[in-house]
Amino acid sequence: MLPLVEWLYHTSISVAIRESSWVFPIIETTHVLGLSLSVGVLFVSDLRLVGLALRRRPASELWGQLKPWMVAGFIVMFSSGALLFWSQPIKAYQSVFFRAKLAMLLLAALNAAVYHTTIFRRINEWDDAPVPPTQARLTGWISLALWAGVIAAGRTMAYTL
Amino acid sequence: MSRLLPLFEWCDNTRVSVAIRDSRVLFPVIETVHLFALTILLGTTIVVSLRLMGVTLRRQPLAELAAELAPWMDGSIVVMLASGALLFLSEALKCYGSSAFRVKMLLLLGALVFHVTVFRRVSRADESKVGPAWRKAAGALGLALWFGVGLAGRGIAFLE
Repeated sequence: MLPLVEWLYHTSISVAIRESSWVFPIIETTHVLGLSLSVGVLFVSDLRLVGLALRRRPASELWGQLKPWMVAGFIVMFSSGALLFWSQPIKAYQSVFFRAKLAMLLLAALNAAVYHTTIFRRINEWDDAPVPPTQARLTGWISLALWAGVIAAGRTMAYTL
Repeated sequence: MSRLLPLFEWCDNTRVSVAIRDSRVLFPVIETVHLFALTILLGTTIVVSLRLMGVTLRRQPLAELAAELAPWMDGSIVVMLASGALLFLSEALKCYGSSAFRVKMLLLLGALVFHVTVFRRVSRADESKVGPAWRKAAGALGLALWFGVGLAGRGIAFLE
């Protein structure tokens, strides 16, 4: 992988972001404030899933209504994150916090995929339950823990690069 | 502003300030807590504000949604203020010279006053008693104020 990240480091976009004094701060600010629309809105959805809030309305309604906003938020996060990586690919590649962040992102995706292919398919059976079944609650708690870890690893990366 | 300088100097020299500056891990840890609370505060603000503006969750009763998310909003505001105060103590003199910090404090004051007065009242009121235009305005202003606070906060780190 190292030759690939070295090549990325020397591409003109990577150099341009590194050398500009305002492009990096703008992308970084977008990435930080984009947390609210992606993980922040997902947090509200996870609160319903673990049975801690908004229990009086169907879980599917909250999910369906918030989904487009979360998708928009994650598009902002992944594109701004890709640009940040692009500007410092070698340091990021060598950072243990970056690797931990990627691993937790993959686990979060896996957690969501398992949920959507199993218990979410039977949401009709528990949609109105104030407290969803164990597997759904577990998905919510794992999601909350992993995203907290992603944020912590991302923040720590910024201090160690 | 210069009359405030002794106060900022005092803040910069408390035992807490020195302890945070002397530690390699304390500042990043406090900053991470600050960021967790930001995610929760802005996330819940987005959901309630969008509902106020009528663009999502229209079938959820507004007052119920606002009341259920209120403890998370208020709790995250408390965590943000506490962690923010610690971050400030550790670099009070840097903040004194930062125009982004001054803008952030003004916006924060505006956001807090707005939150405990207009936002709380409009979002918990009977929907038939507040016109949709007022709800839209309250939602948009709440979003603008809190995102302004966040933006100015990033400015402290990046701007002169």
